[in-house]
Amino acid sequence: MNSIYAFVVGPLAWIAWGVFIFGSLYKVVSMYQLAKAKDGSSLHYMSFKYGMRSILHWLNPVGTLGWQSNPYTALVTFVFHLCLVIVPLFLMGHVVLWDQFFGITWPTLPDTIADIMSIVFVACCVYFGLRRFLQRDVRFLTTGKDWIALAIPALTFLFGVLAYHQIGNDKVMLVLHILCGEIMLISIPFSRLSHMLFGFFTRAYMGSEFGGVRHSKDW
Amino acid sequence: MTFDRKIEDAGLTRGVSRLTPQRIEDTLRQVLEGETGAKLKLYAETCMRCGMCSEACHYYMSHDGDPSYSPAGKVHQTMGEILRKDCKVTPEFVYQMAQIAYTECNLCRRCVHYCPLGIDTGYIMSTVRRMCHKLGVTPQYIQDTAHSHAATMNQMWLKDDEWMDTLQWQEDEARDEMPNLRIPLDKEGAEIYYSVIAPEPKFRTQLIYQAAFIMNEAGVDFTMPTSPGWDNSDMCMFSGDFEMMGRLKKIHFESALDLKVKKIVMGECGHAFRSIYDQGNRWDGWDMYPIEVVHSVEFFWELFEAGKIKLREKFHEPITIHDPCNIIRGRGLMEQSRKLAHALCDNVVEMHPNLEHNYCCAAGGGVINCGPPFKNVRMKGNRIKAEQLKATGVKTILAPCHNCHGGLEDLVHYYELGMDIKFFGDLIYDLMEKPEVE
Amino acid sequence: MLKRVFTIAAVAACVFLYMIPAFCQDEISFLKDPAFVHPTRPAAVFAHDEHNEKAGIEDCAACHHVWEDGKLVEGESSEDEKCSSCHQIKPESGKTGLRNAYHKLCSNCHIEEDKGPVTCAGCHPNGGAAPSGH
Repeated sequence: MNSIYAFVVGPLAWIAWGVFIFGSLYKVVSMYQLAKAKDGSSLHYMSFKYGMRSILHWLNPVGTLGWQSNPYTALVTFVFHLCLVIVPLFLMGHVVLWDQFFGITWPTLPDTIADIMSIVFVACCVYFGLRRFLQRDVRFLTTGKDWIALAIPALTFLFGVLAYHQIGNDKVMLVLHILCGEIMLISIPFSRLSHMLFGFFTRAYMGSEFGGVRHSKDW
Repeated sequence: MTFDRKIEDAGLTRGVSRLTPQRIEDTLRQVLEGETGAKLKLYAETCMRCGMCSEACHYYMSHDGDPSYSPAGKVHQTMGEILRKDCKVTPEFVYQMAQIAYTECNLCRRCVHYCPLGIDTGYIMSTVRRMCHKLGVTPQYIQDTAHSHAATMNQMWLKDDEWMDTLQWQEDEARDEMPNLRIPLDKEGAEIYYSVIAPEPKFRTQLIYQAAFIMNEAGVDFTMPTSPGWDNSDMCMFSGDFEMMGRLKKIHFESALDLKVKKIVMGECGHAFRSIYDQGNRWDGWDMYPIEVVHSVEFFWELFEAGKIKLREKFHEPITIHDPCNIIRGRGLMEQSRKLAHALCDNVVEMHPNLEHNYCCAAGGGVINCGPPFKNVRMKGNRIKAEQLKATGVKTILAPCHNCHGGLEDLVHYYELGMDIKFFGDLIYDLMEKPEVE
Repeated sequence: MLKRVFTIAAVAACVFLYMIPAFCQDEISFLKDPAFVHPTRPAAVFAHDEHNEKAGIEDCAACHHVWEDGKLVEGESSEDEKCSSCHQIKPESGKTGLRNAYHKLCSNCHIEEDKGPVTCAGCHPNGGAAPSGH
């Protein structure tokens, strides 16, 4: 089991990070090339000012018609993404590994807070899952890809929580946690999760069109 | 996924009967690979299927939350299916996607205010229409207007002499009221080139009359063109015939440039503004437009501000104001339209939601132009608008757009709202000071 | 395979837990290093004599090593010194910090030998030793 652990935190982690970083670079660059080749009449109107204006408005959980009309989903979406970004970056167990492998460290979250955030994250996933299943319009739109996009982060955090609380075999849980995390990294450039790479661009584009051309708000 | 609301349409039926699986696949692929790029790819890939856009759509709201009417739901049933099936779809499917794209989406872009990722459903539906156009599967009525555009450069099969004749007829009529009134034709170097959509000479000639009256009274140096290009409307933009859209805008701008005018003022139309300002100009490779175009709402407000229009009295009855997507969400004229409305009326009652968030009329985007077979699609699909109008409790609606006008008129009759609909031009003409005539 | 590992691990854990009270006070059963003023995790469980017996470690220098000028000094050991006398909490660049010293020493060997805990909880179980320094 220790060798499996060594494999997932070693070579597999290198592969996962490599695919994530180079895959993302490839995706972003090739999308930009494609946009230059095919979407000139859109790209031309990109504006930093109006793009940022739109992004900032949408970063306010009560600042747009969409968020206001779906207050619970808005709340869960914000909490979900905050946890998704903050916990992995500032979890002590992760920073310890960075320290161990590369000798770099940075401030960490207290374990209890990280633990609560992770459990909340899993609860958010449950909310999204139920919504997918129970809300008619969402169920209508749901495809396998959407379940995968939800399952990957959900399982990553779930196994993380189980490993932390020592429910089940700690090595098995940790290896599963790391594996899911690596699958998540690998799938970011190639799945629905790519909205992490492109979401701000599509938002900024819409903001540019609405701000710069149409002189109206897009929120 | 069953589609249980098929409506018989001669154009769609004839178009579909000519399809083969190979032709469908080739055409769809040609559009996907040749005409779309990163934008569509990203929209398809990053839409998280959260369903937040559902409530944006008047069709969804009016059909008690039927998921197949939500913006993402309509994409799911059209472009989504094409991408999932890799362009291998049946003729029957093409019928369905045409019906959804042409008649169940007004391209009003209200859903933009709901999507956190900024996905432009209107663009996706336009692209589906583009595919339908290339497959020759278009509703008969809108295709007829597109044919008219191609044959005559105007939307209503007007012959050149009929157009000129109509202008002179309206000039003649208006002289009863204002003996010196003129509609100068093809006047080179005029300040303003006044352009309208072809339905005005066809069945709303009073609008030309009123505009001429207002501009004469305000002392505006204007002209109206007689040669093709005078019609600024553009159903080809909505049918998916973008090549024709480009030709229409080109001839329109060129006719204004030929007359060496300072700017174009266009009548109270929404879609034509979209064509000039947002889509047609881009097809022709213009950043904005080669000559400034001003919408009537803005133009009238400028005249007001400059004190060139004087009112005899204001409109006393309570009145509500509708925000057409193409000049509000598409151009940000809400401020001018409010100022103008308040300048003209004592009691402006806002409908809710309003401004950019206003509900669509369900007529725009070429939907009303798909004709009688689909009238009930618009009526049943926009109960929410009727309820919104009714809730204002007023008897008059201001709607500065032809499509909105037509759509709201139908809604008012269908839901027996007993409301009157007016253009700004109607109100100004009614309320302004007029010279005494012996 | 997983199942077998799981069973073995579970049995081992039971035996281990059963044995904890048997450790007498003067034997080292936890790695409580007072140099950690505010430890975030419970101190690592470590029964010194039992561990070495099981692992067959006789040379003290296997863990209590001595380094000089970046080289391991053969034949010298440092069991009479505290780890923290060389490994500082905030190490100078190029030197191993105290936390890393423990983590690396344990987990590298455990991985090499394919034995013993490697996960966070494996060494720092809930309800383990109270954080030191309190």
